[in-house]
Amino acid sequence: MAASSSSTLFFGTKDENQSQTAQQASSTITSSTTPATAPQKKRRNQPGNPNPDAEVIALSPKTLMATNRFICEVCNKGFQREQNLQLHRRGHNLPWKLKQKAKKDPKRKVYLCPEPTCVHHDPSRALGDLTGIKKHYSRKHGEKKWKCEKCAKRYAVQSDWKAHSKTCGTREYRCDCGTLFSRRDSFITHRAFCDALAQESARHPSMGSNLFRNNHMSLGLSQVGSQSQLSSNMLRLGTSGAGAKFEHLNIPPSNTCNSFGHPMPSPPLFMPDANQSCFPNKPLMHGLMQLPDLRTNTNNSSPPTNHHLFNNITFFSNNNGADSAANLLIPDQLNSNNGNASGGGFSSSMGGDHHHHHVSSLYSSSSSLHPENIASHMSATALLQKAAQIGSTTSSNNSSLLRGVATSSSSDKHNVLVNLGFGFGSNTGNGGGMENASHLQGLMNSLANVNSSMFGGVEDNNFDGFNAGGSEAKLHDNLGVSFGGSDKLTLDFLGVGGMVRNMGGGYSQREHQHAININSLEPADSKTQPFSSTTLE
Amino acid sequence: MGPMFQDEGSSSVTSSPLQLFSMMSLPPSLGSPYPWLKELKSEERGLYLIHLLLTCANHVAAGSLENANIALEQISQLASPDGDTMQRIAAYFTEALADRILKAWPGLHKALNSTRITLVSEEILVQKLFFELFPFLKLTYVLSNQAIIEAMEGEKMVHIIDLNAAEPAQWIALLQVLSIRPEGPPHLRITGVHQQKEILDQMAYKLTEEAEKLDIPFQFNAVVSKIDNLDFDKLRVKTGEALAISSVFQLHSLLASDDELLRKKSPLASKNLNGSHLPRVLQINQSTLGELLEKDMVNGHSQSPDSASSSPISLNASAKMDSFLNALWGLTPKLMVIAEQDSNHNGSTLMERLLEALYSYAALFDCLESTVPRTSLERLKVEKMLFGEEIKNIIACEGAERKERHEKLEKWIQRLDLAGFGNVPLSYYGMLQARGLLQGYGCDGYKIKEENGCVVICWQDRALFSISAWRCRK
Repeated sequence: MAASSSSTLFFGTKDENQSQTAQQASSTITSSTTPATAPQKKRRNQPGNPNPDAEVIALSPKTLMATNRFICEVCNKGFQREQNLQLHRRGHNLPWKLKQKAKKDPKRKVYLCPEPTCVHHDPSRALGDLTGIKKHYSRKHGEKKWKCEKCAKRYAVQSDWKAHSKTCGTREYRCDCGTLFSRRDSFITHRAFCDALAQESARHPSMGSNLFRNNHMSLGLSQVGSQSQLSSNMLRLGTSGAGAKFEHLNIPPSNTCNSFGHPMPSPPLFMPDANQSCFPNKPLMHGLMQLPDLRTNTNNSSPPTNHHLFNNITFFSNNNGADSAANLLIPDQLNSNNGNASGGGFSSSMGGDHHHHHVSSLYSSSSSLHPENIASHMSATALLQKAAQIGSTTSSNNSSLLRGVATSSSSDKHNVLVNLGFGFGSNTGNGGGMENASHLQGLMNSLANVNSSMFGGVEDNNFDGFNAGGSEAKLHDNLGVSFGGSDKLTLDFLGVGGMVRNMGGGYSQREHQHAININSLEPADSKTQPFSSTTLE
Repeated sequence: MGPMFQDEGSSSVTSSPLQLFSMMSLPPSLGSPYPWLKELKSEERGLYLIHLLLTCANHVAAGSLENANIALEQISQLASPDGDTMQRIAAYFTEALADRILKAWPGLHKALNSTRITLVSEEILVQKLFFELFPFLKLTYVLSNQAIIEAMEGEKMVHIIDLNAAEPAQWIALLQVLSIRPEGPPHLRITGVHQQKEILDQMAYKLTEEAEKLDIPFQFNAVVSKIDNLDFDKLRVKTGEALAISSVFQLHSLLASDDELLRKKSPLASKNLNGSHLPRVLQINQSTLGELLEKDMVNGHSQSPDSASSSPISLNASAKMDSFLNALWGLTPKLMVIAEQDSNHNGSTLMERLLEALYSYAALFDCLESTVPRTSLERLKVEKMLFGEEIKNIIACEGAERKERHEKLEKWIQRLDLAGFGNVPLSYYGMLQARGLLQGYGCDGYKIKEENGCVVICWQDRALFSISAWRCRK
């Protein structure tokens, strides 16, 4: 029926298929162009940019979609190709003639899509191949009759559908961000630049992380908790008063922990070696253990480790461009992907996988050597920061601290130090009491804003007073109370600071040793009054 | 009767929070002085140790040796080379302080050190341990090699001068990468400089073996020499070859000079020397202790520009460093890779250096604490023979003897810039490898960051080592 089209031009022959209806075909332009002196070689034009000399053919949708254009006159059997029809005619003993493939060189034909809204409807964007235009028309403007069984994808062209169903589900690469890829190269490129990946690896140094460290983050957090407990206890002691030992306090972590809270979550101390059995970290361990014995040898055990180390580095550096980046990044993912099928696919395809594990075993073996250092102890860095913090917070009355202890001449810090030194020095001579008092006094003086002359007087008196020793008992009592009432010392420095304030309060109300009120820093006069009076006794 | 005080004066030290911490009074010790010390918990003990250490250092700096002695006594009750981090650090710092005090009696000092045997094998071992227990050298090598490879693209003759040729791993890795260069491996020559011949022999053997395996034309020249008096002719740099120089922790020793002794004596200093506190010391050894004190005091009083205390930009003039850098420049290397410690341990006063060193070595000891068990003998060795010796040098030595003159990266940048070198930023690809290495290391306290084209390796927030690459600027 209307299977044919105004494709007379195309075929160049008139045969019975041409039951021609169709000028419905937007046979807009059948411009017969000048026969191009086409070059002998078959030149492919840019897609969508046809040869300007080509003959433009516009077919109707029906013609385009016609499947069986060639009908046998005898039995009305339809064929898609003319050759097939000719061969079929042989069976009817009809005259048949096989055509050679039409030389397209002299006359290139390009085809237009019949759909007016399509971009290929325009002759300047005509497509060069009949099969191509047919498929294009089906895909874009046709009904999708073919459906994949495994997934929901539908196809208009059967060959597309076949091609898809071959690969559907066979090889899948899944990025951490959730995107699915069927092609390895696009997957790799994506991964190299995937943001989610970058964040992931920044947070969890993943090479070997799952294998070598158990719940690293959670342990870190618990450690923060314990340490902040400790430190908060220490901090609170000063403010809480009663001079209880810090371990009796259960105070929620104060926010001063944050000063070193940040480093803490990745606690440097705690690297559980729970999973070290996964990898042969023994070589390095042996290497280390044997090193003392190999002192006189030429370090035979260690070079292999070095080489391995650098084998992997050089392996990485072998690759160029994106591949190398991918090689580096993929191992990250290998460990952090859980049970991903692609992980297995990778290890074989990457080839560097074993190296990589070896590398990570080498690297983390040193960490896996770690173990018994107890969780509840601060790193030296943290201790230093804390000390600095204590120093700076306690001396917020900086000037007073410096002004505090005065001797005959200038009041600079060395006086304080030397005073302490004297305290030390005199410690050997006298009992602990004297040292206590001088220390306390030093702080007392510093915390109370008294002018130096007063202090000078007090200080001299103090020394004399202590030599007299009369006040020692009283001081001792106060000290004892403030210190928790026993010979044992509660050594915490803010406690001391706080305690000194307490002492201030205590002194001013001499009878109430327990009345610790840190805010009750008496004005200078009233404070020194009782103070000096006690010491002078 | 008044206490002797000596004004160290430099303001930066005064305001340091740690200094303020050390000025707080200690809780009194009731009863007999020390048993309670044993019962301290680790955190308290740590803080107490810091306090004592700083107090002791203040006493040493001020010259009040009696007090320093007492402080040392107290510290010794608490510090221990196989305790926790702070205990270990305190142990080595107090040893350094004690060493410093002892230098006031040079005869005594020499006598005590006369029978010390330093085995070359132990030194080799310690360097090996440093390579293995830390990622710093590995990172350095990775970044240097990458920089070298990139600079030597297309070169047929490559000559590398290694100013501290002790660890073959770096060059073995380089050989491996060069062997798979697309344009084929170059003809490679490595000149290794080191003080000990045995180490160079070992390097030669290992590297030649590797090059044969990889079929790379290779030559190793050993130059047995110190960096100080390196004869550049022995390096045999030829025309037509592309030269790369690698200096790993070598340059800072060139900053050592007798600078302090050249300072004028201040009248105030001599007056204070007559203070009552140190009769014994002064009479016996006025010169040396006096020098010690003078240095500190003169630094306090005179505003002489030092490497650290005054403005951050002023460089300590060092003739040795200048001439060395000039000589290097004269070789017109295509690339020079410098790796140095990135801490300021070259302050002119003891306290400055001690405070900085406390932070730096606390970080380094923390690294070990996090990665190596306390019972490990290797860790002990690294701490004692490597870090302990560095600390001792920083704290106890002065003048030409003090070789561990670590400085911050910006100073090195300035120096190299003045000497005619231009910075070559380390490549993205090199950083990628370095980060990958760190990730694989499994300890996330180590951080690596980029700064002005140079790379700084940190532990937590503390910068420890810096790596930078330079080219000859016309």
